[in-house]
Amino acid sequence: MKPTELILYKDHLSYWLRQLRKERELIGPLRGEETDIVFKSVENIHDIVLDLPAILPTVKEFLFPQYEPMFKYLMTDEVVDLRDNTKRVIFGVRSCDVTALTLLDKFFLDGYKDPFYEERRNETVLISIVCGRPEPECFCAGLNTGPYLEKGFDVQLTDLGDRFFVQVGSPKGHSAVMRFSFLFRKPYKADYEDQYEVFLSSKATSQKRISLEGARQLILSGKVKDDFWRMISDKCFECGGCVYQCPLCTCFTVTDRVFGDIIERVRLWDACLFKGFTRLAGGILPNEERYLRTKRWFYHKLIYYPDALNGFGCVGCGRCTIACPTKIDMASVITRLKVTAGSEG
Amino acid sequence: MDKILTVCPYCGCGCGLYLHVENGSISGVSPSRSHPVNRGSLCIKGWNAHEFVTHPERLRYPLIREDSYLRKVGWDEALGFISSRLKKIKKIHGPDSISIISSAKCTNEENYLMMKFARAVIGTNNIDHCARLCHSSTVGGLATTFGSGAMTNSISEIADAKTLFVIGSNTIEQHPMVAMYIFEAIEKGATLIVADPRKIRLAEFSHIHLRHRCGTDTALLMGIMNSIVAEGLVDIDFVKKRTENFDSFRKILKRYTPDVVEGITGIHADDIRKVARLYAMEKRSMLFYSMGITQHITGVDNVKACANLVMLTGHIGLPSSGLNPLRGQNNVQGACDMGALPDVYSGYQFVKDPIVRRKFKRIWGVNLPEKSGLTMMEMVEKAYKGELKAMYIMGENPLLSNPYSDYTREALQRLELLVVQDIFLNETAQYADVILPAASFAEKDGTFTNTERRIQLIRKATAPVGESKPDWEIICELSSMMGYEMNYRGTYEIMEEVALLTPIYGGILHHRLNTGLGLQWPCPSTDHPGTPYLHRKKFARGLGTFMPVDFIPPDEPPNDEFPMILTTGRIYSRYHTTTMCGRTTVLEREEPEPFIEVNPSDAEKLKIKNRDSVKVTSKRGSIRLNAYITTTVPEGTVFIPFHYSVAPANALTNPALDPEVKIPELKVCAVKVEPL
Amino acid sequence: MKKVEMNPYMLIKGRISEILNLTPDVKLFKVRIDGIKDYLPGQFFMVSLWGAGEVPISVTSLPSDVLEFCIKKVGRVTGEIHNLEVGQYIYIRGPYGNGFPTDIANKRGILMIAGGIGISPLRPLIEWLIKYPKGRQIIFFYGSKTPKEILFLDDIERWRRNGIGVHLTVDMADKKWNGPVGLVTELLKSVNLNFEDAISYICGPPVMIKATVKELLSFSMPEERIVTTLEAHMKCGIGKCGHCYEGSKYICIDGPIFTYKEIVDYALSL
Repeated sequence: MKPTELILYKDHLSYWLRQLRKERELIGPLRGEETDIVFKSVENIHDIVLDLPAILPTVKEFLFPQYEPMFKYLMTDEVVDLRDNTKRVIFGVRSCDVTALTLLDKFFLDGYKDPFYEERRNETVLISIVCGRPEPECFCAGLNTGPYLEKGFDVQLTDLGDRFFVQVGSPKGHSAVMRFSFLFRKPYKADYEDQYEVFLSSKATSQKRISLEGARQLILSGKVKDDFWRMISDKCFECGGCVYQCPLCTCFTVTDRVFGDIIERVRLWDACLFKGFTRLAGGILPNEERYLRTKRWFYHKLIYYPDALNGFGCVGCGRCTIACPTKIDMASVITRLKVTAGSEG
Repeated sequence: MDKILTVCPYCGCGCGLYLHVENGSISGVSPSRSHPVNRGSLCIKGWNAHEFVTHPERLRYPLIREDSYLRKVGWDEALGFISSRLKKIKKIHGPDSISIISSAKCTNEENYLMMKFARAVIGTNNIDHCARLCHSSTVGGLATTFGSGAMTNSISEIADAKTLFVIGSNTIEQHPMVAMYIFEAIEKGATLIVADPRKIRLAEFSHIHLRHRCGTDTALLMGIMNSIVAEGLVDIDFVKKRTENFDSFRKILKRYTPDVVEGITGIHADDIRKVARLYAMEKRSMLFYSMGITQHITGVDNVKACANLVMLTGHIGLPSSGLNPLRGQNNVQGACDMGALPDVYSGYQFVKDPIVRRKFKRIWGVNLPEKSGLTMMEMVEKAYKGELKAMYIMGENPLLSNPYSDYTREALQRLELLVVQDIFLNETAQYADVILPAASFAEKDGTFTNTERRIQLIRKATAPVGESKPDWEIICELSSMMGYEMNYRGTYEIMEEVALLTPIYGGILHHRLNTGLGLQWPCPSTDHPGTPYLHRKKFARGLGTFMPVDFIPPDEPPNDEFPMILTTGRIYSRYHTTTMCGRTTVLEREEPEPFIEVNPSDAEKLKIKNRDSVKVTSKRGSIRLNAYITTTVPEGTVFIPFHYSVAPANALTNPALDPEVKIPELKVCAVKVEPL
Repeated sequence: MKKVEMNPYMLIKGRISEILNLTPDVKLFKVRIDGIKDYLPGQFFMVSLWGAGEVPISVTSLPSDVLEFCIKKVGRVTGEIHNLEVGQYIYIRGPYGNGFPTDIANKRGILMIAGGIGISPLRPLIEWLIKYPKGRQIIFFYGSKTPKEILFLDDIERWRRNGIGVHLTVDMADKKWNGPVGLVTELLKSVNLNFEDAISYICGPPVMIKATVKELLSFSMPEERIVTTLEAHMKCGIGKCGHCYEGSKYICIDGPIFTYKEIVDYALSL
């Protein structure tokens, strides 16, 4: 299905968002301190930042929170399912995150369905904005995970200066737009031309190319020895930042919290970079050596994800490059991997 | 979903992070990308700084001990009880029979109020905090040499340094964001020198690693300086124009030839010369140190030796060039700045100085005690002897953090009144008569000062759990109840008073901190932009002073009965006495059990295998834990992290003190290890 | 409150009908539960106590109204389960995992090798093989630390009577023990079996699995007929939490039973 295409004047943006906010929590990119941008509930719609850098914080937390209550158990032996069904609309999402969510849908909803994710996902409308100025860290263009998406989005906006080129790609998006159709108009030829121009200039500025497939093939060829992973991991601080910031990392742990008569079962983000992550009964640590954990992370993204979900576990968002204190991120590791494997023939 | 910018409550790096608040409860954290320290990164503790805030074991109501159980009481009753008991003890035994332990985990405002409470309300200078156990040597040693005891550079300057000399700091594990910049500097071609008896992770990346014997730091540094003089690498101009007392220092220095030092430290004389050259010949040289320098009976001497080294080479007073003590706690710098110390008011203004005293008296409106108060270890000793009757501990856990736990426990039990104010029922609180529930960092406003002297706002993200209150509110209420009105509308009013009385904080006001990411002291006036690096053109005290120091061996060398050296420290995933990280799922899981590091050749002699259970005994006590066999520790030395209450390393450690600042020698004592 | 029944993390309550103390730290819990009847030998359940957490435990009985779990006290959750008494409740969800492949065992020799509590998932398999005898040669090797720690001795005797070749060994003998002392792998050397036409099922601690697999490979047993269980840290049991991901497999949903062929890359680093 070809997405419905419309035009929204920026003057009408706040009105539209205000209408959406009447029935949903509106999350948007707001200014934090200095140049920080944070996604949070929007109090004042005019505070929403439209002149955004390419790399924004991940919106993963709204669908798979860092701390998520699962159940409440009462001493009467009653169990309450605590899944969150808040209706949300998230404005300003990046295309790489939208792509990541289409993969997370497969992960969380194929086979056993994860009801906590499912409920949040069903209740969330994403309004993504195509980014025109990639940062040095990100590389979605070469992976086709952004900045322009053909599908997978609810509503995709392209900034044409005084107006947005609007593409509607899902029933949720359709409902969010069409109920306020009076705010939108059909695009004219000039709009398509402008959009194409933005598309081209954004493409031209997306220089960074990282071939995940090339890396995968190198690994599968057996040319990448454990020494490589040892070398890569020797500076790892084991902070978990790459995992926490990755829009495609979903590991969690579960803990019970006893508040007197009420027990809460909570799940929390976890990371395979921690040696305790795979601790077995009796204190055995299968991944005590740091390189095994680093290797595992890259294998999961480059080998397992394509095998199981038909897509790489990386959308080129560049957040691991920012989060990693010692730059053991996807882009630089792949670059080093090619150099190392190349030099060994 | 709201996001509140605040400061990480763990180490002294002072990373900026956003607390995520959903339905009035903390649901996560994320790093600030534009923060000058962490730049979008965090360590494992920072990433998990949210979980303990809502932990079910948080103290939610005041408690009073009745025989063997703790009775839940209201605030009025709890504070009324404390107030009347303190007044009574003060009346009978005098104000100096009461002591206060303030907290490097609490805000500047709270530390200021606590020191005001001690001095103006109780009328004693008996106030101290955990800096006594970490950087009191720095405060003492650098006050005499430079006139200011703090990191001289900013963390971000590290990236541009050319030589990095790290002595006695396990930087990757304890100050991960500082290590981040060290790696950046190495990437740009800097040379890294590490001096540490243990093969810490940072040593793997060093160009030269000096594994000197535990407790021989002064000798090592003197050897390096001797070499610098011998090879003509002294910055003569700097020494002449900016310093004094060089000649008397030089007399002693002559004795420490590299060969003599080799005999003391075990470091090859050529390596000493090499390090001297590496450090001295590059202008952008930064020296870093931490507990490995300070926690000795010669802690102050060690610090003075470091100061002498940077003065000798003129490596101070410039960007990316200076002496950098890495402060451990999130606000240990601030707690010192605020005068939670027995001899100074805020801003290191001496209590013995009558002009200073008059200034404080004028604002506070009461007569103030002249005599310096007791240090932490002296308080414990006086309590043990029955001379100290009451102790009020805010946000500290001395039972686990002080050396010789059995002695500390006994001392605490002998007190007539022990008040513990904390966010969790820590080990010390088990002996308290009254326990007051405090609000956590996420539940209050105020400021923390990080290791690079950056004063940053922390902001209230959620309401305090249960009936807990911010520490500053508790102090105000107690003080008012005791007849000294403390009335502040908010922490900004407290900071205004601090600014009025404290020259280095003169321009620090909350509204200035509300935008941007903090100000670095000294910041003497409201139009001052703060100071990224210290001692530019002039030392804080005018001229820098060379302080002659001499090598003194550790107090308790190994002997026949206790043949091994025990050194203690921390590990990456845990923090101090684990009050917070022990209640954080993934942090607790990383290293759930205590361990002792044993060198393989010692293990062979002792017939112990990896993970075997062993008994470790010193003169003072004995603990059982598992052996971890590793070459991280040199032969003859063992290492135990002090975090674990089930096997507290401090049951073994030596309470021998540095004579000047009374810091105990936590880094060296003699033990024996036996297989079980 | 809606859709609670559709939440795969939701637990079902079971009443403990019997507890047998097998050794000082191993107990057999018999749990009466409604609604769970279909499961295979080798599958596991997430067993839970509210306030303590969940742990994956292999089922050790054949399908019936009463599920049996053999639980060793190793941590906090299992410790609290050990404190339970008959009549109290325990919470479970499952069954999870793939179970033992029994279809490829037709008319071959069957070798079963267990170490310690590893007997637990093999027990229902043995019972199943006894229930549906097809003239196979079944040999069962079982290694324990000490004679006192041999689990299910009564069952083992019954299995012997049903024609199963049982070989027990211990690491440390006591005065009464007159059987062999040493590793299970030592016993394998003496067995009279056509390894190339047999299937083996292994369950035990990682070191024992590794040694046994090595031994079997040296007897030219084909990789696809060496079947082993893998143990892992698990929080969900349904392929979401990520803890048990290893060598491009999730142990909880792709396993916990694997042929050596499937895990050859990972097993080398076991």
